[in-house]
Amino acid sequence: MSSPKAAAKAAPKAARKPAPAISAEPSKSEKAAFLKAMMEGIKPGSLAAQKSAAKKEPGARLLGKVPKTKASPAPKAAAAKPARTSAKKAEGAPKVEILRKISGAAGVARTPESERAFALAKELEAALADGKLDLIQPPAMQALMGALCKVYSANEDSGNRYPILAGRAAVTGTDVMIVCGALLKAVDLQVFELGMWQSWAGR
Amino acid sequence: MAEQFVSKASEFKDGDRQIIRLGEQEIGIFKHEGKFYAYSNFCLHQGGPACEGLTIAGVKEHLREDKTSAGLYFDEASMHFVCPWHGYEYDMFTGEQVADRKLKLKKYEIVQKGDEVYVVA
Ligand code: FES
Repeated sequence: MSSPKAAAKAAPKAARKPAPAISAEPSKSEKAAFLKAMMEGIKPGSLAAQKSAAKKEPGARLLGKVPKTKASPAPKAAAAKPARTSAKKAEGAPKVEILRKISGAAGVARTPESERAFALAKELEAALADGKLDLIQPPAMQALMGALCKVYSANEDSGNRYPILAGRAAVTGTDVMIVCGALLKAVDLQVFELGMWQSWAGR
Repeated sequence: MAEQFVSKASEFKDGDRQIIRLGEQEIGIFKHEGKFYAYSNFCLHQGGPACEGLTIAGVKEHLREDKTSAGLYFDEASMHFVCPWHGYEYDMFTGEQVADRKLKLKKYEIVQKGDEVYVVA
């Protein structure tokens, strides 16, 4: 991927001549500020609401007073300057305003079987890291893989749907392709049959 | 610098985050393994909401003695948060951008007094 700097270097000289004002590209920070403002909109409590309130009400503190309802419009020219002066004079530190609370993953009580599965997964990962590829012998791998396939698909069918891999699982695309390919081959399915089934079943 | 009350510690569960505004600053406060971390919510890349994306352990690689790869793994001792706009990844403990540790989000001190959490700003 070429960096913006490299792209700028590669651009012909003519393209770097000052463009007419109307088509001038805004700077990165201007774009970011614009996008942020678009995302936020003028909602109560936002910086935009505070700024617009400060413009509308000459006496309003820029960082403190936020209108809960729409303020009646005040003459713009008269409002702008005094508001800035009063913001400078504002006493005390600004107050904390909670914008969003984002919950972490909900703690789920683990069953003893889940605990054993976690322990086994950890053991396998550690063995793999040590280069011990044959910790699980083929018949045991087949039994485990078969049971996992059946349990996962039974859960799917019964409506208990969840991602098959945790966000944190470090499984590469190649790992997935190898395993999926082997599973399809084991039950004599072609990739196009999988695609067909997915489109019919809406999965 | 003044201490500003943010929340009750008991209402702040492990893994939770709060995005607060303090004057013109927007701050993301994380609770990770019982400790609080607070950083500016303005991404160093293009001003995106840096503290509002995925949190994820650092990805490392197991190398065999001959330096060939034995696979990737998540290093549970580290924790990163990822800006949702274009994926700048920051170290939860330092605020550094992990691909270029010279870049650092502004860090805020968090003080806990009993059950009360304060941000120093
Ligand atoms: S704005 Fe955060 S990664 Fe681009």
